[in-house]
Amino acid sequence: MKKKMIPYYQKKKIYGFLFITPWLVGFLLFFVVPFVQSCLYAFQDLSPAPEGMAGEWIGSFNFSYALFRDTEFLIQCAGSLKDLVTVPLILVYSICFALLLKKEYVGRTTMRAIAFLPVIIGSGVLMDILKTDVFSTGVKGAETATLFSGSGLTGLFTAMGLSQDIIGFINNTISKIFDLTWRSGVQILLFLAGLHNIPGYVYEAADIEGANALEQFFKITLPMLTPMILLNIVYSVIDIFSDFGNTIIKMIYDMAFTNMRFGYSSALSILYFLMIGVVLVIVYLVMKRFIVQADD
Amino acid sequence: MNKMQHMKESFLYRFKTGKWIGPIARYAILILLAYQLLYPVLYMISASIKAPIDSYDPSVIWIPKHYSATGFTDAFKTMKYLDALLRSLLIGLGCALLDVASCALAGYGFARFKFPLKNVFFVCVILTLIVPTQTIILPYYMNMRYFDPLGIMTLISKVTGSETMINLIGNNLAFFIPSALGSGIRSGLYIYIFKQFFEGMSAALEESAYVDGSGPLRTFTHIMLPNAKNAIITVFLFSFVWHFNDYYLSKQLLGTSKRTLIVALSSLRMDLAAVIGGQTEFDPIRVQTRIQAGCLLVILPMFLLYIVTQRKLADSIEHIGIK
Repeated sequence: MKKKMIPYYQKKKIYGFLFITPWLVGFLLFFVVPFVQSCLYAFQDLSPAPEGMAGEWIGSFNFSYALFRDTEFLIQCAGSLKDLVTVPLILVYSICFALLLKKEYVGRTTMRAIAFLPVIIGSGVLMDILKTDVFSTGVKGAETATLFSGSGLTGLFTAMGLSQDIIGFINNTISKIFDLTWRSGVQILLFLAGLHNIPGYVYEAADIEGANALEQFFKITLPMLTPMILLNIVYSVIDIFSDFGNTIIKMIYDMAFTNMRFGYSSALSILYFLMIGVVLVIVYLVMKRFIVQADD
Repeated sequence: MNKMQHMKESFLYRFKTGKWIGPIARYAILILLAYQLLYPVLYMISASIKAPIDSYDPSVIWIPKHYSATGFTDAFKTMKYLDALLRSLLIGLGCALLDVASCALAGYGFARFKFPLKNVFFVCVILTLIVPTQTIILPYYMNMRYFDPLGIMTLISKVTGSETMINLIGNNLAFFIPSALGSGIRSGLYIYIFKQFFEGMSAALEESAYVDGSGPLRTFTHIMLPNAKNAIITVFLFSFVWHFNDYYLSKQLLGTSKRTLIVALSSLRMDLAAVIGGQTEFDPIRVQTRIQAGCLLVILPMFLLYIVTQRKLADSIEHIGIK
């Protein structure tokens, strides 16, 4: 009996498929099916039924309502887009922090542990509680002279004779610091991984040729990090748009599970996703020109 | 001894040549960064052990004069802590293990094999990351409520006469099944990490395994996985942390009676008023003490896990070779 031979490259194709089969099944069941259903829901007026949902086709009514008649949705979208201002800040902060964590010095292990802390405990719910309780001045009776409590600083700045506008701006910035640093955990981690991936001999060569630290950073480190920068921008954008405290996310969620307007909630979520998609496409098209692919 | 001498010398050398400014400045920046990162945690500790009377005392800022544990006991009771903790840990650990298994497989498939539509599929992996959970949460919930993948359950019921659909709401399987199929919370990112990692590994190892006659699957389990320790640790911790900290899916898929720690924490403010009764709910300081204690109780298990594993995580991240 002769065993039927399959050519090696054919076999590899089949094995490739085999390896991704579990993911493919999951992708179909838990992504494609719900996504298509969500798109269909958006064109219906839905109500709960014994087995699933019962709906009535109403065309693009949900979409036109969201865009032209809902007073809140577009305003919230604009607010979310404004939050994107923090993305460059997150990038600069996390690159600087990652550079600080890369060098060898006494206490680096402790510092790394502290830097990754937001990744571990910085859940949306916790951040929300911290923002309302810790960083507002309302609850505490006594004024405390700590870095973040606004009242102490406001007094100081007023004594210095600054105008109210400037004080407001400074206070706002300080309250943003917390948001910024607690959102940057994963980004620092990814940048650190990227930094360690730049081969040491590149820097050695630069040293021999007489490049100083600043030149090395702008001509070696930054270009080599560009793929990581793209990844981090994408991650930060998604993180900001899908955060627990994000008002649109809350709106979409409440629309479905509190107000029971399921179809409308689906329409909102699809519009929202399209907005994220447009932002990410713009980011990608802009970043594409700067990305340096290092070959080994 | 030699090392000590070397350090002393270099210290003196630095002092004389004025090269001490750099390190001092660096430590100053590091201390500042550490302070602003640790501030909320320190605040939580300080606020949760403080007796209410100290909150009116202006001389008490960080270290209270009177201690009180009622914040912890109240939060503990209100959150049904042990029950919620057990559920959170079970979901976190189970999903982390399943995610590692399924995403390593997929990542390896994407990294080392050529097959038709491969690039399309990989774009799909990225797409799952970009679409927010809220876009699909409603049908996702319905599919879990009336679980019938591709009509298989209907088929089985026709043969055996059992119920046509299973209700997975309130069942941990609602988390385990997607994770086992590489579609859990942020699974796309784990597939990406594994793909990058396997692409960075030397092909020589595999080729020698092939020459020695082991098939792709055996090569994967015996050669590639044992060498992928860094990627496995990273993905495991990420998956554990993000399942543990998840809010929206946990709230929807587990129903109202079964809560994870994060879901319990999110409604703590409202629950406190209901459980402890009328006279305390109007005192914002007491409520705040309990909420801070609750926060501390929720981050405690993660914190302990982190203390044990942080060195491993940091080392894994540094050697994972993601580009």
